[in-house]
Amino acid sequence: MDTVLAQAIINGLLLGGVYAAYSAGFSLIFGVMGVVNLAHGELIMLGAFTSYWLFAYFNLDPYLSAPVAMGLLFLFGYVVQKYIINRVIGQPHIMSYILTFGLHLMVANIAIKMWTQDFRSITTSYSGANAAIWGLNIPYARLVTFIVALFVTWGLWFFLMRTETGRAIRATAQDKEVARLMGVDIRNIYAITFGLGAAITGLSGSVMSPFVIISPEMGLEYTIIAFCVVVLGGMGYMPGALVGGLVLGVAQSLAATYLNAGVSVAITFIILFVMLIIRPRGLLGKGSVA
Amino acid sequence: MNYRIDRIILILFLMFTGAVAFVPYLVQSEYQLRVVTVVVLWVGIAGCWNMMSGYTGYIDFGPVVYFGIGSYVVAIAMTKYSVPFFPSLFLSGCISAFVAFLVGIPTLRLRGAYFAIATFAFAEAMKQITLEFDRTFNVSFFQGSDGITLPISNYENSFFFYCILPVTFLVVFTHYFIEHSKFGYALKAIKEAESAAEISGVNTTANKLVAYVMSAFFLGLFGAIEAYWITYITPSDVFNVQKTVQMVIMTLLGGMGTFLGPVVGATFLTLISETLGAQFVEYYLIMIGAIIIVAILIMPSGIIGGLKIRKKLRFI
Repeated sequence: MDTVLAQAIINGLLLGGVYAAYSAGFSLIFGVMGVVNLAHGELIMLGAFTSYWLFAYFNLDPYLSAPVAMGLLFLFGYVVQKYIINRVIGQPHIMSYILTFGLHLMVANIAIKMWTQDFRSITTSYSGANAAIWGLNIPYARLVTFIVALFVTWGLWFFLMRTETGRAIRATAQDKEVARLMGVDIRNIYAITFGLGAAITGLSGSVMSPFVIISPEMGLEYTIIAFCVVVLGGMGYMPGALVGGLVLGVAQSLAATYLNAGVSVAITFIILFVMLIIRPRGLLGKGSVA
Repeated sequence: MNYRIDRIILILFLMFTGAVAFVPYLVQSEYQLRVVTVVVLWVGIAGCWNMMSGYTGYIDFGPVVYFGIGSYVVAIAMTKYSVPFFPSLFLSGCISAFVAFLVGIPTLRLRGAYFAIATFAFAEAMKQITLEFDRTFNVSFFQGSDGITLPISNYENSFFFYCILPVTFLVVFTHYFIEHSKFGYALKAIKEAESAAEISGVNTTANKLVAYVMSAFFLGLFGAIEAYWITYITPSDVFNVQKTVQMVIMTLLGGMGTFLGPVVGATFLTLISETLGAQFVEYYLIMIGAIIIVAILIMPSGIIGGLKIRKKLRFI
């Protein structure tokens, strides 16, 4: 295997890890509530900005501020679901798409007002540092994000499978009426689910902050990629986000290496379109179909 | 009773359209004419979305693709093959409709969020393909991000006003036709309960496809007229997802699946963006976001939809 190909695949896997990290929350929110959260990218943006400001004012390392981002985003998600999105549960799904789109506009534009449109970045001692193994470059920061993605997927799986709240969330996802009859407080479970999804998304935004460009307008393109990743992996199937992320990352990286970056974006959308038509349940066939 | 109100509304609508046709003689400045033209254009475009998504409940997140195809067909036909405007215009509509037919067959089998995402993906893919086609295959056809400059016309703004008005009229009139035909009932049945409609003998696929192709045909026409009006198009402009968003929001504000919904919603939002947008540029998008959230929370069926429920009207 030649070095260019190997490097392209490694880049793809690392990129896929990043995709997987921030798409898991999208999949969770869709899987449980059927809400396609168009404000998903804004959650990443808020996570990244939390780390940015803590770094700028207190010189706190992004990896140390990640738990703070997680906590703040949990609160944000909980409140948004409890007081806004819960009001349209039970109405046609379009309402939730448009509502979250409204949220996207508000959050992104308020952020522009507060923090201006400037592009920002966090420069740490390890930003841009690479591990060189057999002539291949592996950037540390991306490797850490990759590991975080694995951890998030595992943690979420563990939480949903082994805890009482997790069981309640799964029950609600399967049949909310029956879950309610069994004594589950649906509205509270929804708020917790959205909070949880927001928290892991904020966490990934925070661990991505050492190597991405941070700006209030960054959100939408992340939302679009998350869409794609989750469709590839299977909507609502947690480990699917990891598979979808890695497949998409490698496909994009190969297209960008051998063709050009613009074509790689076109390929992303063509894959998404074709996948939906031929395999709407995702590559593993375990996603839910509306 | 309802039928009489319905007749009255139709007559009022025809009279109103007739009155609008005199606007170019009444306006004081080219700016005012331009605003009115943009309002009429958006009433039509939002109407195209309503025709498909409002009635069937299938949320199309990529209608802008047919607008873009219309723009590109007219641009390529006029610049590369020097076809006159009106034949190219007709060609735009037909090609948009044909693409919609091919795309509709597989995508209309998808439901809910899957249909929404698939249409969105198709629109974005087409945008990227027009952007990258020339560079990848080393030809000069779509002219990528350089865009295409159309032949500059000697026509005044009023010419474009009179191009757009009949198309918009046709779109709104098609709504009236939908409301009063078996076809309309089929679409509404699909929205309420698709499987039940299918069991009752409604050919759901064919009905959805007809609605989808019709809306694509009109969108192609609007895309073509706007391209000739603006005279310069780029893929990121004509395939801009922002256009889709506007269609959705306008229809939703007015009332989805109603005859007058897009008319009211598009007029309201265009006038707001002309007034508020010009005065409070920095806060404009925050306000639009807030309007969307408040509208969804307090009047989920839109202005006309709410009226329809309160007054128990059947057709407006």
